[in-house]
Amino acid sequence: MSAFGGGTNILVTNNPMASELFESTLQVEYLSASLLDVLVRVRNLVHSGHTLLTHPLSGSVKPNETHYKSVLLSKSRGKADAQSVQIIGECILAAQRFNARQLPARYLRDMQIVDLSIISSALETKKTNS
Amino acid sequence: MKLEVGYIRICDISFAEATEVKEGTLYVNAKELESMVLEDERIAAVCFDIARPGESVRITPVKDVIEPRAKVEGPGDIFPGVITKMSTVGMGKTHVLRGAAVVTVGKIVGFQEGIIDMSGLGAEYTPFSKTNNLVVNFTPKEGLSPHEYEAAARHAGLTIAYTLGKLSAALTPDETKVYEFPSMVEGIKKYPDLPRVGYVQMLQSQGLLHDTYVYGVDMKKSITTMLCPTETMDGAIISGNCVSACDKNTTYHHQNNPVIEDLFAEHGKTLNFAAMVITNENVYLADKERSSDWTAKLVDYLDLDGVIISQEGFGNPDTDLIMNCKKIEATGTRTVIITNEYAGRDGTSQSLADADPSADALVTAGNSNQVVTLPKLDRVIGTLEYTEKIAGGFAGNIVADGSITVELQAITGATNELGFNLMSAR
Repeated sequence: MSAFGGGTNILVTNNPMASELFESTLQVEYLSASLLDVLVRVRNLVHSGHTLLTHPLSGSVKPNETHYKSVLLSKSRGKADAQSVQIIGECILAAQRFNARQLPARYLRDMQIVDLSIISSALETKKTNS
Repeated sequence: MKLEVGYIRICDISFAEATEVKEGTLYVNAKELESMVLEDERIAAVCFDIARPGESVRITPVKDVIEPRAKVEGPGDIFPGVITKMSTVGMGKTHVLRGAAVVTVGKIVGFQEGIIDMSGLGAEYTPFSKTNNLVVNFTPKEGLSPHEYEAAARHAGLTIAYTLGKLSAALTPDETKVYEFPSMVEGIKKYPDLPRVGYVQMLQSQGLLHDTYVYGVDMKKSITTMLCPTETMDGAIISGNCVSACDKNTTYHHQNNPVIEDLFAEHGKTLNFAAMVITNENVYLADKERSSDWTAKLVDYLDLDGVIISQEGFGNPDTDLIMNCKKIEATGTRTVIITNEYAGRDGTSQSLADADPSADALVTAGNSNQVVTLPKLDRVIGTLEYTEKIAGGFAGNIVADGSITVELQAITGATNELGFNLMSAR
């Protein structure tokens, strides 16, 4: 298994912009659900042996400040990766500390753009890694 | 390397026919600056305003703050590789319009920009309530993407600061400071009995709208490297960063890094300031491993006795911070980390998203979740449209009397992790 996650990796996201942009290049798992639900789905994939490739608390945006999250995982599966298990666990704890807040619909597009920018940049640096 | 920095005190700022500095006042011809900015076809309109310390003014949403400086002697120029030709800076003589700042404002991604209050409670939390600010508000051309808008606003802000900074070149400084950074061997010979201390500065580099540039290089594409600390004083590091306002390092912070200032102040007395290492904070986990491996390797190679590590931002940079700390400690070099906390509004939650027993010496810049109510101010430069949207604001937080309730993270520089803060506790 490549440490950098060779092949078509998995993108778990609730961001429609990211889902649309990457549907032809990544194995996109789109969830019409909350940010916490995305993190829980990522945790389940990590427990089943997929390695976390990007940090789930990306963007320095607190979990209750954005509704959208895109997380990249390896397609290949092995033994559960200890570092991935630890990181996703801490992220879920951090996300649970903040109460989700209702944000007016007119702000959602900005949040989708920020999430998309971060995951796109991560994929850019990933190219350098591979 | 030796850099002499001359400070010209600016006590007031005003619009005028001619752009000049006279008797401590910075006079600005806005028309001239406007035509310069509008040369960039990405910008549709630009509006200039002035905000002085103590005025009943709220500036929001703030993107960047920049100090006007000029290179007077020595190689290179201010903002090398970005506004001026690429050449190593940090030597010779530099002049500063101390007390003046260029503040760029604009809706880039509104919810990540900040607030500067020039008076009232909010003013106590931001250092830019004490500067005479030329506020520049950009309107992008229709259809411009947030990324292009950010790049255009960043470039225009730096150009304006560079132009105003030039005025200082011909003036006589009110105060002069000399920063001398010896080579490694010279330092060891000169201070054989002092502990050799280094500075590891972590730079925000998570991606578009969260970037930092060093000599024009996007830091997320760089491996961990070294800088002479005086280079930062000539604008070698600039901010292209739209993360939550309280803990992003503006360009002004990079130009006036207090960790570097304090290490220089103790250099030759209690310690030997021996090296500065810069590293990034990328989203990709393999990048985090590589960059922290390199900080530890460089620190070990330099055989330092101790390092100070400063973080930028919150959340996933906590992982970089702890990786840097753990790996450097494992080489036998002691560390002190500077961070801030997101400990919940009552301060009882865990402060960082990551932790390790080796991180046993920590300086905190405050709890960014702390809630403050800012009074109504007479004038708003920019717009309050985004105030409930910015990180730290909350929906419905503008009440009928005009006051706003926000977390400290909405205020520019409130819990800055370089320690560039107005309030402290011991």
